[in-house]
Amino acid sequence: MKLPYRWLQELVAVPDGVDAVAAKLGLRGFEVASVEQGAEPVIDFDITANRPDCLSVLGLAREASAAYALPLRQPDRSMPAAGPAPSLEVSLEEADLCPRYCAHAFEVLALGGSPEWMRVRLEAAGVRSINAVVDVTNYVMLEMGQPTHAFDLARLRSGALVIRRARSGERMRTLDGIERALEPDMLVIADGERAQAVGGVMGGAESEIGAGTRVMVLESACFKPASVRRTSKRLGLKTEASTRFERGADINAAPAAIARAAALFDQIGAARPLGGLIDRYPKPQPPIRLRLRGDRIARVLGVSVADGDVPAILGPLGFEVRTTPDAVHSAATERSEAPAFRAPSITARTPDAPRPSPFALPTWDVTVPTFRVDVLREIDLIEEIARHDGYVGLPATFPRLTAPQPPPDPRTLRDRTIKQVLIASGLSEAMTFAFVERAAALPFARETDPAALANPLSEKYAVLRPSLLPGLIDAAAYNRRRERRDVRLFETGARFTRDGENRAVAAVWSGAAAIPHWSGGARGVDFYDVKGVVETLCRTLAVEIAFEPASRPYFVDGRAAEVIVRRKADAAGAARGARPVDSGVSRKIAGEVGQITASALEARGFPANEDVFAFELDVDAIAALQPSGDVRAESLPRFPSVVRDLSILVDAVLPAASVRGTIRSSAPPTLVHIVEFDRYRGKGVPEDRVSLSLRMTFRSPERTLTDAEVDDGMERIVAALASAHNAVRR
Amino acid sequence: MDISSLKQQFTAELAAAASEAELRALRDKYLARKGGLVSALLKHVASAPADVRPALGRQANELKQHIDAQVGERLAEASARRPAADAVDVTLPGRDPLIGHRHPLTLLRDRIESFFLRQGFLIVEGPELEDDYHNFEALNMPAEHPARDMQDTLYLASPVTSATGTPATLLRTHTSGMQVRYMERYPPPVRLIAPGRVYRRDNLDLTHTPMFTQVEGLVVGDDVTLADLKGTLVAFAHDLFGPDRGTRFRPSFFPYTEPSAELDITCASCGGSGCAMCKQTGWVEVLGSGMVHPAVFEAVGYDPERYTGFAFGVGIERLALLKWGVEDIRLFYENDLRFLEQFPL
Repeated sequence: MKLPYRWLQELVAVPDGVDAVAAKLGLRGFEVASVEQGAEPVIDFDITANRPDCLSVLGLAREASAAYALPLRQPDRSMPAAGPAPSLEVSLEEADLCPRYCAHAFEVLALGGSPEWMRVRLEAAGVRSINAVVDVTNYVMLEMGQPTHAFDLARLRSGALVIRRARSGERMRTLDGIERALEPDMLVIADGERAQAVGGVMGGAESEIGAGTRVMVLESACFKPASVRRTSKRLGLKTEASTRFERGADINAAPAAIARAAALFDQIGAARPLGGLIDRYPKPQPPIRLRLRGDRIARVLGVSVADGDVPAILGPLGFEVRTTPDAVHSAATERSEAPAFRAPSITARTPDAPRPSPFALPTWDVTVPTFRVDVLREIDLIEEIARHDGYVGLPATFPRLTAPQPPPDPRTLRDRTIKQVLIASGLSEAMTFAFVERAAALPFARETDPAALANPLSEKYAVLRPSLLPGLIDAAAYNRRRERRDVRLFETGARFTRDGENRAVAAVWSGAAAIPHWSGGARGVDFYDVKGVVETLCRTLAVEIAFEPASRPYFVDGRAAEVIVRRKADAAGAARGARPVDSGVSRKIAGEVGQITASALEARGFPANEDVFAFELDVDAIAALQPSGDVRAESLPRFPSVVRDLSILVDAVLPAASVRGTIRSSAPPTLVHIVEFDRYRGKGVPEDRVSLSLRMTFRSPERTLTDAEVDDGMERIVAALASAHNAVRR
Repeated sequence: MDISSLKQQFTAELAAAASEAELRALRDKYLARKGGLVSALLKHVASAPADVRPALGRQANELKQHIDAQVGERLAEASARRPAADAVDVTLPGRDPLIGHRHPLTLLRDRIESFFLRQGFLIVEGPELEDDYHNFEALNMPAEHPARDMQDTLYLASPVTSATGTPATLLRTHTSGMQVRYMERYPPPVRLIAPGRVYRRDNLDLTHTPMFTQVEGLVVGDDVTLADLKGTLVAFAHDLFGPDRGTRFRPSFFPYTEPSAELDITCASCGGSGCAMCKQTGWVEVLGSGMVHPAVFEAVGYDPERYTGFAFGVGIERLALLKWGVEDIRLFYENDLRFLEQFPL
């Protein structure tokens, strides 16, 4: 809302310059967008949605009059002498959508330009001057906040205005020249036959006033906000009028605006009234009356307000304030009635002073002016009291803690742990948008189509991500295009399907496996680097995992695995290497790890000949399998362990997990640990075979093991490997 | 050359000799059997007149011993300084461990969470897919409410099953829905923050992204006041921006709070005197807040006569722009490692 400073001064004699006035109103809740200096200074305010009354010079002038404790001068609204009434019939059929409809006929005397003073003000307020009649209607709208509309009476069939819903299939051309299809829940102002205006939104071209107009009908109405908003959105037509009506109009401004327009028409010699005011107002609305309790003010604000200050603050804003007869007087009231324009004071409640007793504070009866459509209950009056001094007098205190907090959300802590492990593993945290291009999402969407947005910003953000990987691949490609080869990124966050959302963590890794060093040892990232991160993460989250070969459209064949997560049998058992109990519910496919295909990389702008490895895990699935209790500390081994190495030749395609499984099932219970320490193919090893070296640790919790019994165990292991896998000891 | 000037010359040359090789060459120059300067001098002594011969001989021998001792001492020093054969070059670069970086928004979120945890707040998290009721209606924003324009919403093409049971139709525009859910479930007192990603249909520019991160707070009790809100937010601003930063708490409007307030801090670029960044006001807006509207309490079944409360909401990206002088909010979502690695681990 652009407020021309001189226009304001006409209504309130503010003593300050334009900057100081802007700052003062800014502190009362009217945010200043900009201040234009110059010959016609203008303050542009961002008016909040609750204050349609301040989409007007008068509304802002009222605030200024309260802020400066200066009287508000009301503009001239005296009705000039009227000529004989023409034939005009107004029927209000939809009082639900239009509670009040006023109209008045005017004889057009001169449709030329409006006087310079009016043109200057309109232009300062951002409105183009058109002709004397239109300029007056715009002037009234800017001054009072009440939109009006002029019809050419000669163009209204049957000399009638009918306020009704649009008929099914009805069309009309609005003032902007666009032909519009109307729908039955839209309110129109029609003549005897056809719609001539969309109520509260825009007039029609057919009955627009022009050079030939001799008699016009000026409409000033109050339209229901929800209806105007719905219609304006449906038609894609946002106007000065609809902006004001959808926020709520003053029901009593309808006749007042006509009087104001008549006075202005008279002043500039543009038109003269014919007949009397037509006022269709079937259910007159009494003003809202509210009870305002002194103790409630203190209770909400944390400060008590002197009794005399309440009428002093509310009066200038247009509220009628009366102390109720049942009010109990306190010491504060001894100061008696405050003068009408006194700068009120707010006093802080000191921490050690007890809250003022509610019984000592009075209650007021407040009548809300009809232009304050935002004031509906007591709390709204309390805000009026609070904002009076821009919260400057408000002390800074702290809320008391009165009860212990429930335990924190485990998801917050889990996310934090996941981030810590991955950062410690060398991955940096990325954040990508939750919506992606459909083409990028499709390969990652299992079974169903990804969840789409109804009104996406663009095709680039059309669907909700079914996986975190498309965003991470894009982020890797972004870095790669900026000469960054070594990219290690992870993200935690929600991913979406048509069945809802799910928390996940994913990572991509390209380039080197370690930070390059002059000592050499440089090597590119491989499957086992990324698998190791997954293993470390799952170990931290205290779940058992296994990997099984898998096939995915975005992973290279033979370089992808599913991650199977199991609940830990028990902490102690897991540490001893015992096989976890495998029941159906305690085992879930919780993710995958693999190498991204060249085509998937190329599609997103990453060089296809470079290796990118990735993993993604379902955090919710892992969380469901995490142990609930505390870690049980285990006593440390009291007897020494015996370590034996074993090298065997097996088929190259035999999974290491099978070898490990055979060893575990054939070994004595004293076997506590197995680890592969070498895998070799080449000279000395037959073509389709591989040399696998394993280190086994044996230990008993009760005694020192003898060489003989370990040898015996090893023999049984070798025999089992020979029979199960045709393994040959090297 | 006489003995004393020969000694002088040696002293100067010894001072100039740095390496072990130079020291050895210096000793040879004076003491070598063949061609050494002192050796030549000693030979010359034999042919000197008898009366000066003993003194000359003694002086020449003293010089020889002096040179031998001095060079010997310096050689011993040099040898002691010589590094061990297997010594490391401490000036070569070390091997960097592989370690990643927290995203700056996580860094700031952790910092904010830690402030509110110290004040006894609970952290709650909730769904990103929401229904209209929890995102708008329960927050005093019925359908066709003009304030809905303040939060342009991204809607789902078709409803999606939500973890909370009701079908979700939109991407949450704020985390307030979580506060509603919490109040529906638990009686007062309430003292929580709800951090998370939120979505609005804003085109990308220097200060807008269609997804951003919010932290909202809610305190409800028998005795919670607007003054308590001011105290809490001013302390928060001072924790984040330093105790010297000016703060301003001023009236505003949100449909779910009444009275509503915004918190400003003095502009960092001009220090409060007014510049382009703060639109000449000297202040920059940090967050929105207010006393919970009684209609919200009614929607969740709290008695608005008995309880009062405050709520606030802040965009972490906005705080990050203000705190670190980041000029373009899009940087947070481009994931350029050169940007991410600028922030502490």
